[in-house]
Amino acid sequence: MDSQMLVSLGLILVTFALYIGISIYNRARATSDFYVASRGIPPMWNGMAIGGDWMSAASFIGMAGTVMALGYDGLPYIMGWTGGFLLLTFLLAPQLRKYGRFTVPEFIGDRFESNTARLIAAIATVIISFTYIIGQLSGSGVVIGRLFNIPAAYGTMIGVVIIAIYATLGGMKGVTWTQVAQYMILIVAYIIPIIFMSFQVTGGNPLPWLTYGEIVDKIGQIDRELGLSEYFAPFTESDKSQFLALMFTLMVGTSALPHVIVRFFTVSTMKAARWSGAFALLFIGILYLSAPAYAAFSRFILMTQVAGSPMDELPAWTQSWMDTGLLKTADQNGDGILQWTELSVGEDIVVMATPEIAQLGLFVIGLVAAGAMAAALSTAGGLLITISSSFAHDIYYRLIKPDASDAKRLLAGRIAIVLSTVIAGLVALDPPGVITQIVAWAFALAGGTFFPVLFLGIWWKRMNTQGAIAGMLAGLGCTLAYIFLAMSGITLLGIQDTGAGLIGVPINFLVCILVSKNTPAPPQHLQDDVIDLRYPEQMTYKDGEVWINDGTQN
Amino acid sequence: MRKVDKKTAEAYFRMRTRLIIIFLSIGFVVSFGVAAFAEFFSQFKFLGVEFHYYMGSQGAVIVFILCLFLNAIFSDRIDKKYGIDDTANAAVSDQKHTQE
Repeated sequence: MDSQMLVSLGLILVTFALYIGISIYNRARATSDFYVASRGIPPMWNGMAIGGDWMSAASFIGMAGTVMALGYDGLPYIMGWTGGFLLLTFLLAPQLRKYGRFTVPEFIGDRFESNTARLIAAIATVIISFTYIIGQLSGSGVVIGRLFNIPAAYGTMIGVVIIAIYATLGGMKGVTWTQVAQYMILIVAYIIPIIFMSFQVTGGNPLPWLTYGEIVDKIGQIDRELGLSEYFAPFTESDKSQFLALMFTLMVGTSALPHVIVRFFTVSTMKAARWSGAFALLFIGILYLSAPAYAAFSRFILMTQVAGSPMDELPAWTQSWMDTGLLKTADQNGDGILQWTELSVGEDIVVMATPEIAQLGLFVIGLVAAGAMAAALSTAGGLLITISSSFAHDIYYRLIKPDASDAKRLLAGRIAIVLSTVIAGLVALDPPGVITQIVAWAFALAGGTFFPVLFLGIWWKRMNTQGAIAGMLAGLGCTLAYIFLAMSGITLLGIQDTGAGLIGVPINFLVCILVSKNTPAPPQHLQDDVIDLRYPEQMTYKDGEVWINDGTQN
Repeated sequence: MRKVDKKTAEAYFRMRTRLIIIFLSIGFVVSFGVAAFAEFFSQFKFLGVEFHYYMGSQGAVIVFILCLFLNAIFSDRIDKKYGIDDTANAAVSDQKHTQE
C-alpha cells in the first residue's frame, strides 16, 4: 500500500461516513413529520440537492475526457446536459408538480387511464435506468482500478458490491441533505485541481474560467505544428449533423429521465419548481463551465510535459495507469521518445489522471477520487431505487398482484435491485463504450420513449391513450433499433448511435399525434385536468370556468 | 372560491406561454443556432478563443442559467399581478396531498 492509496481510500471513507451520518441524523428527525421535512426545503438547497443527485460519473469522470479527446465536437455534452434543464423547467416539471404524480409510469398511467400505458412506461423506465447504471459502474471501475492498481474490470466488480449494499441500505436517496453534502464534495473536488492547474500552466492566474481560452489557443498552435486538425476546429471528429443530433438527444433526454423528474417531488408548488430548476442549473453549471477548462489544461499538460519525454524516463504515474489498461504508450517510430500521437489516453481516465500528472499532491488526488465515487454511487443509488420502485410498485403491485403485502413488495424491490446490479455489472466488465457514450444511449431512450408523451400529455388535451401507447412503443423501438444499427455501422445522414434521439423523438411525436387524431377523444375529466395545468395551484379549472381560491367558501 | 373572468384567465396563460416561447427560442439560438453556423462564427474571437468554441463551452450555459432565473422572476411578477399567493398555492397543494 503506497501513501497515495491510503490518502485516497481515507478520503473516500471519510466522505462516505459523512453521507451516512447525515442521512441517519435526518431520518431520525424526519419520521415525526415526513412532509414538512421534505417540503420546508428552500429552492436553493433543493436545487443543490438536484445537482448532487443528477451529476453522475458521466459528468464528473467522463465529460472532461470526452471534450479533451474530441475538442469542439465534444461540446454537445456540455450544452445538451445543461440545456435539458430549460426544457424540463419550462415544459414539464411545474406541470407534473401540479398534477401530483411523481414517477413517470404513475403520471402516464393516470393521465391516460390505462394500465397498458403504465406497464410500457414502467418497463421503459427499467431499461433506461439500467443503461444509465452501466455507465456508473464502469466509472466506479476506473476509480477503484486506479486505487488498487488493478485492471478496471476488477474495479467494476468491487464497485458492483459496494453499490448494491449502498442501494439496499435504502432511504439514502430522497434525503435531501445527503445530496447537498454530495454536491459540495463533488464540486470542491472538481474545482480545486483546475484552479491549481490554471495557476501552473498560466504562471499565476488562478481563475481557470478566464484563462483557458488562451490555453485552447496554444493547443491549436501545437496541433498545427504536428499537422493535426486544431483542437477547437468544428466538425473534425464527427459530422455537423451528429453534433446537432447528439445535442438534441441529450437535451430532450435530460428533461425526460425518470430519475430526474422524480426529484421535483420535494418542491411544494409550481413556483418552487421553477426556482428549484433555476438553482439546480446554476449549481450544475459550475461543473459544466469547468469541464472544458479541465479538458484544455489536461491536454496542454500532456502535450507539453509528457509528450516529448524519453520512453525510459516516463514518470511513475504512467505505470499505475497502464496497469488499469486504460493508458497505452508505444514508441512506434522507435526514436526512444514518446510522441503525442504515440500516447493513447483512455477518455475515462483524464479527470482522475491529470491531477497526478500535474503533481498536485496526495490530498488533491485523493479528493478527486472521493468526488468521483460520490458522483458514481449517488447516481447509481438513485437509479437502482427508480428501477426497484418501477418494478415493485408499478409492475408488481399495480398490475400483477394488487393484494400483495408490504413485505412482499419490499422483497420484489430488493430482488429487482440485486438482479439489475449484477446484470449491469456483467455488462460493465467489458464496457460497450466510454462512459459518456453509454450514458448518451440512456438519454436517447428516455427522450425517444417519454418526452413526446409527457409533453403532449401535459399541453395537448386531445392526446389520448392509444396515441400514448403507440408513441411510446414506436419511440422506444426506433431508438433502440437505431442505436444497434449505428453501432454496426449503418447510419443515416452521419448521425451516430449517441444521436439516436433525433430519430426516435420525431417519430414518437408523429405517431402520438396521428394515432390520437384518428381515435376517440379522451373523456372530459381528463381534458379538464390538462387545462387545469395551465394555472398555478391556487387556480382551478372546473366545468369550463376558472376559479381562484381566495379563502372564501363558495 | 371566486370565479375568474375568462379573459383574465386566458391572459394569464398567454403571458406565461409567451415567456416560455421567448426563453426557449433564446436557448435554441445560442446552442443550435451557433453550432449550425460554427464555421461562420469561428472568424470572431472572444476571451482568447474562437467564438463558436466559447459559446459551446461557456456562453450557452451562462445564457441557459440566465433564462431560467429571469423566467422565475418574471413569472413571480405575473403571479403577483394576478393576485396569486404562493403560501395559498402551498396550502392547496398540501390539501390535495392529504386527500389522496
